[in-house]
Amino acid sequence: MKKITKEDIEKVDPSKKDLGKNWIKVGMSTCGVAAGADEVYAALIDEAKKRNIEIDIRKCGCQGACSVEPLVEVNVEGLPKVLYGRVTKDVAVTILERHVRNKKLLHDYIFEIN
Amino acid sequence: MEKKIIYIRDTDSAQKERINDYFTLFSNELRDANLLEQVQLVKVADIGLYEKGVAVKIIPENIVYSGIKTTDVKEIVEETIRGGKIIKDLLCGKKSKQLRAVLKNCGYIDPESLEDYIAAGGYKALVKVLTEMKPEAVVEELKKSGLRGRGGAGYPTWMKWNFARGMNSPEKYVICNGDEGDPGAYMDRSVLEGDPHSVLEGMIIAGYTIGSTKGYFYIRAEYPLAVERVQKAIDQATSAGLLGNNILGSNFNFELEIRLGAGAFVCGEETSLIASIEGKRGTPHPRPPYPSVKGLWGKPTIINNVETLANIPLLIAGGGTKFASVGTEKSKGTKVFALTGKVKNSGLVEVPMGITLREIVYDIGGGIINNRDIKAIQTGGPSGGVIPQEFLDTPVDYENLGKLGSIMGSGGMIAIDDTDCLVDLAKFYLEFCVDESCGKCAPCRLGGYQLLQILKKISGGNGELEDLNRLKKISYAMQKASLCGLGQSASNPVFSTIRYFEEEYKRHIVDKKCPAGKCKALISFKVISEKCKKCGLCMKNCPANAITGSREAGYIVDSQKCIKCGVCFDVCKFKAVMKE
Amino acid sequence: MVKKDKLQADLEGLVKKWKDKKGNLIMILHSIENIYGYVPRDTSIKLSRLLDVPLARIYEVITFYNYFKLEPPAKHNVAVCMGTACYLKNAASLIEEIEKILHIKEGQSTKDGMFHLDVVRCLGCCGLAPVMMIDEKVYGKVKKSEIVDILSKYVKEEE
Ligand SMILES: Cc1cc2nc3c(=O)[nH]c(=O)nc-3n(C[C@H](O)[C@H](O)[C@H](O)COP(=O)(O)O)c2cc1C
Ligand code: SF4
Ligand code: SF4
Ligand code: FES
Ligand code: FES
Repeated sequence: MKKITKEDIEKVDPSKKDLGKNWIKVGMSTCGVAAGADEVYAALIDEAKKRNIEIDIRKCGCQGACSVEPLVEVNVEGLPKVLYGRVTKDVAVTILERHVRNKKLLHDYIFEIN
Repeated sequence: MEKKIIYIRDTDSAQKERINDYFTLFSNELRDANLLEQVQLVKVADIGLYEKGVAVKIIPENIVYSGIKTTDVKEIVEETIRGGKIIKDLLCGKKSKQLRAVLKNCGYIDPESLEDYIAAGGYKALVKVLTEMKPEAVVEELKKSGLRGRGGAGYPTWMKWNFARGMNSPEKYVICNGDEGDPGAYMDRSVLEGDPHSVLEGMIIAGYTIGSTKGYFYIRAEYPLAVERVQKAIDQATSAGLLGNNILGSNFNFELEIRLGAGAFVCGEETSLIASIEGKRGTPHPRPPYPSVKGLWGKPTIINNVETLANIPLLIAGGGTKFASVGTEKSKGTKVFALTGKVKNSGLVEVPMGITLREIVYDIGGGIINNRDIKAIQTGGPSGGVIPQEFLDTPVDYENLGKLGSIMGSGGMIAIDDTDCLVDLAKFYLEFCVDESCGKCAPCRLGGYQLLQILKKISGGNGELEDLNRLKKISYAMQKASLCGLGQSASNPVFSTIRYFEEEYKRHIVDKKCPAGKCKALISFKVISEKCKKCGLCMKNCPANAITGSREAGYIVDSQKCIKCGVCFDVCKFKAVMKE
Repeated sequence: MVKKDKLQADLEGLVKKWKDKKGNLIMILHSIENIYGYVPRDTSIKLSRLLDVPLARIYEVITFYNYFKLEPPAKHNVAVCMGTACYLKNAASLIEEIEKILHIKEGQSTKDGMFHLDVVRCLGCCGLAPVMMIDEKVYGKVKKSEIVDILSKYVKEEE
């Protein structure tokens, strides 16, 4: 990795931090993985490729709603950012098709906590 | 019209079908108003409100209505959706009670990416410290912030750092305490796994401030993922020049190394932890000398909790005064809790100090499972105590929890309902402490054992009233005479349960009954003949063949044979088996 | 016994890697435990020679920490969490159930060396209580009735 300089750090404006418009994040801490987040993550990557759906799929840490893991957060342009809980492989596929491709939110999996 | 989304949710847990009626109602109204194209109606699994009737949230305006009646639906569609007007009567004054500061990156950035952390403003505090702040200035900022240790005792962080800074020694050490021994708490794990660089940054700043060039992460071996992520973060920081020699072009050098715990609770105590890093048995030493004077390998050392360190970058970047604007008079900033037990939404919450326990359990946690009554809250794990339901409106800070006989602890918060027995809970914690006592000093080694025997006697139905005094006496002796915090606080769960729930103890001792139905020796199962439908299911399922009878005569439990497994109680569909 | 020969070579490498670091004993023991699942006596003896520390010192450390074992592990380690969150969600009944199915008590292994039952304190997934872990796999929100199926999966794997 290249050395980082003071300027590299100073020039960052976190308020402008932009993850891009379209992304999916999977909570992958111990409890997420215990609940099956690794399978969900793998399924998202595989299926997105298979279905030609272009979206940035990333890992992240604890999102707080540990009792409804696995948690998947989805941001798609034109829709609010959404946290899905109790996501299974099947639900992951539905997220790709329904939410990402067709811009329709899924029923019964959204957790709007705080 | 701009595209809209309506979230809909029935927040009453007792209602199951009602939501579908509302969903249909809304769809019909939207269709009639010709809005189906512009509006998405979505059933959600949680809307952040509890027991407030049917609720909707309208996006993008973020208008939340609750307690909606069927007659309101039309108005909502007409007025708010189409007309953009707010209906005041339905408005729900919902404010987020959480305040994510330490956890702001957790669940947001990729913990395995240094670029992500930097893009979120990471390492800015380090740059600031290295370029424009003298160590004294860092201490001054900490002092202004009022930050206190998040590992349990709440010792002011600036004092600890200032002691170590003032020591004249070429070798000093910084240790991050990631032992997280409290069973039932996992705040530190989440931070280490979700945002490891924030803790690294805190440690580097600590090193600079006290004049140390070497730091250790002490992480329990039971957290392999945390270890992996921290190691990755250290490697990244090292190759990026954020660790090593001449960090960011300054003349400050600092390196970090991980050491693993090996399954000993007492190693969370700072002097034991030091012994453990030194490769020895983790037994405590008397203090003073404090680690900041004579710590790791006899050199001045500061030990801080994971969450304390994760607060540092935040505090430096935003300034101490800003940090101190959140919280109560003596407890500043936020605190992360692992909210578990009988609460509906168990999970990790971060709240400003001074929020009440009730807000945490009901507004964030969604209340108690099955809407049962809350009996108490336990904080501080095996070193803490219980806080009964009548004190739920107490604002959470170090002093208040201490006054109530508990402690802030590292952040375990456990909701206890009326099906939990507090004698059994005290016994549970004590078993833990007896297991974990290192055995070095007698008050803890022997006292803990004796306390446990007495509790076993009480829950076994052989208690005498005098036992309560014995418990108090031994507890007191342990508090006063034990060598380390483990022994000094091991009796807290006993002390505090007796303090608030003496009646429950007496029921065990005098009436030989366990009101919660938990202590096996004190409960019995009985078929209530008036309710029994004579289906025979209980007899079929009883593993001890303790239930006899016939479809004509009905069934009875033979208390001599009954092993109190409770299967009959569970299988009976007519609630005809009684447990008392 | 291939594995063992390999480790003995490793042992020297391991000691070399850690030799210059202070307080290395626990970290070396962790590496050994990771390979064998326990710390064999002959390894300790070798280690004592390589590191030039008395055997008693090594045993003093091994026996203090719960993480280090002196007995070889069973094929599958079943660890049921009895941390506070799991305790309140009746993890005790899971333990009873497993004891009943496998005919062992906590801390024991089945005669065929297939399963070992451990009771542990908090696996850090309290949100999913009650929790148990078999080898590296964590099972959350476990119901008593599911245990037979979970365990038999491991037995079937063998066949
Ligand atoms: C028995 C016992 C166990 C402890 N366990 C922990 C622990 O797991 N994590 C922790 O941060 N502090 C623990 N502590 C507190 C530490 O000794 C120490 O006070 C703390 O790490 C200091 O950090 P702070 O000032 O940042 O809170 C424990 C203390 C005792 C007596
Ligand atoms: S109080 Fe208990 S844990 Fe602490 S030194 Fe004494 S025996 Fe050991
Ligand atoms: S299961 Fe219930 S209803 Fe059926 S025989 Fe037993 S007590 Fe009666
Ligand atoms: S650690 Fe899983 S969401 Fe909290
Ligand atoms: S108490 Fe069981 S996982 Fe934490």
